[in-house]
Amino acid sequence: MGGVRIPALRGTFRVWQRNATIFRKYWKTIMFPNLFEPLLYLTALGLGLGAFIREGGINGLTYTQYVAPGLLAANAMFAASFESTYNTYVKLKIGRVYDAIVATPVNAEDVVAGEYLWAGTRAALYGTAFLGVITVLGFVFSPEALLVQSFWALLIPLILLVVGGMFSVTGTLFTSLISSIDLYAYYFTLVITPLFLFSGIFFPIEDFPSPVPEIAWFTPLYHAVNVCRSLAVGPSPYVLVDVVWILIFTGALALLPIRFMRRRLIS
Amino acid sequence: MNIETEINTGSETRETTLVAKDLKKSYESFEAVKGVDFEVHRGECFGFLGPNGAGKTTTMKMIYGAAVPTGGKLRVAGLDVTRHEREVKRRIGVVPQENNLDEDLKVEENLLVFGRYFDLPKKAIKRRAAELLEFVQLSEKASSEVEQLSGGMKRRLLIARALINDPEIMVLDEPTTGLDPQARHLVWDKLRELTREGKSLVLTTHYMDEAAQLCDRLVIMDDGRVIAEGAPRDLVEEHVSPEVLEFRANPDALDKLAEIVESVADGTEHFGEALLVYTSDPEAVTDKVRESGVWVENTMYRQTDLEDVFLKLTGRRLVD
Repeated sequence: MGGVRIPALRGTFRVWQRNATIFRKYWKTIMFPNLFEPLLYLTALGLGLGAFIREGGINGLTYTQYVAPGLLAANAMFAASFESTYNTYVKLKIGRVYDAIVATPVNAEDVVAGEYLWAGTRAALYGTAFLGVITVLGFVFSPEALLVQSFWALLIPLILLVVGGMFSVTGTLFTSLISSIDLYAYYFTLVITPLFLFSGIFFPIEDFPSPVPEIAWFTPLYHAVNVCRSLAVGPSPYVLVDVVWILIFTGALALLPIRFMRRRLIS
Repeated sequence: MNIETEINTGSETRETTLVAKDLKKSYESFEAVKGVDFEVHRGECFGFLGPNGAGKTTTMKMIYGAAVPTGGKLRVAGLDVTRHEREVKRRIGVVPQENNLDEDLKVEENLLVFGRYFDLPKKAIKRRAAELLEFVQLSEKASSEVEQLSGGMKRRLLIARALINDPEIMVLDEPTTGLDPQARHLVWDKLRELTREGKSLVLTTHYMDEAAQLCDRLVIMDDGRVIAEGAPRDLVEEHVSPEVLEFRANPDALDKLAEIVESVADGTEHFGEALLVYTSDPEAVTDKVRESGVWVENTMYRQTDLEDVFLKLTGRRLVD
């Protein structure tokens, strides 16, 4: 026992494949609200609130241009968070799907890794759809200020895969520690919502007095927003710092839920 | 490769498919299994009988890797369970106590997705799933939702699922608990068919008739230990007299009766408002009772069975 077990690729893939099989059956139903929600934000804030800050915009971008890529990152966070909290909890405690899987050659560590990969995939799928929508919206409604202006944006789905994986790690970590589904209210109110509001999606967090920007730097969504915005308007080399931050944060935490979940599945 | 050689050079004989030696499992606060020994032969049905909390389920969990032994040895299909976790799981099929079918998948899909966990080829899974649905009589439910199935159907689907990898050993934890009599008999039929095909079955139960019907050999567990082992009939012969008389009367009369029959009984036991008298000479007992003139409400005479062994050995208590 002792040390942490490293997931096997094959088992990881099998768990991913199980989720993909189910997703393929219901994707139309699942996808719609996830696509619609960011559009609501974009309309209310980009067009509604944005009308009042048309003068000058933010860092040379119109308000809609500023908000749209940030919503992409937030959308990935929400997709991966629901997957790794409620969905994972049901499979762990209610449907006992994981108990059945770990009695096969697929081990507990593969289950967790498969869920990371799946959450990332789901985030990337939603994000790609939303990216397509805002690209088209830009061409149709504001060709003079496109919402997506750079070919670097083609890398956004890949980034969202990683961002989804990152939030799957934090969500699974929370899941692996709780014994009641009601406790997710804390996770969403105390972790996810503050990240959504203070990660530079709706206003530049850098303009706040110290130590707010410093605190933001240590949180995950802030970096995801930076990367998405940079790729949408044309990247700066500073993006690499954000990407490395995301990779280190994800890598440093990824083994912890594996260890805890294994303990919950194997006595 | 080295797994193969291990099977051939293993210390156990060829017929043995599962060996436990001084197997232990303790949790932080208690010892669930306190050192048990047993051997399961290839092609037999081996039972674990015992009251709740005896350590049966924990023992099953150690076999299929859901619990890690804290002491002793456990070899399944010739492989050490802690060293060859995945390989052991590849060779066994598990029917858990609680239904854990994948409710997001339809009946047949449950088998198809499960087959993938064993890395079986797609075509082979498809063919085998169809055969297994036929075997458990669920073919016409192939595209139903799992939640629409009755309890008995779900249990049969669990059995089909456990067979998808054509396992050498099937581990069943209380395979018929909660089923109605018809559903139980259907499950028993299927399990008998499997042993005829040469599969080894390891099951837990607290139904004596189930153990007597299905098991070639069994162990009785109590408080984390094996307290008896053998074929059902041998256990009855070994531990209790061949016949038992049950007298019902008021408690004072029962005490008196116990004294009266003492000389001709092998043993007596109070059980609520009844006195059980174990004997190989039932006529002598009834004669004694008749002579004594003690008024008895009701007398029942029957052959002893596994239940008597169980109750004698585990004490008259069924812990819940």
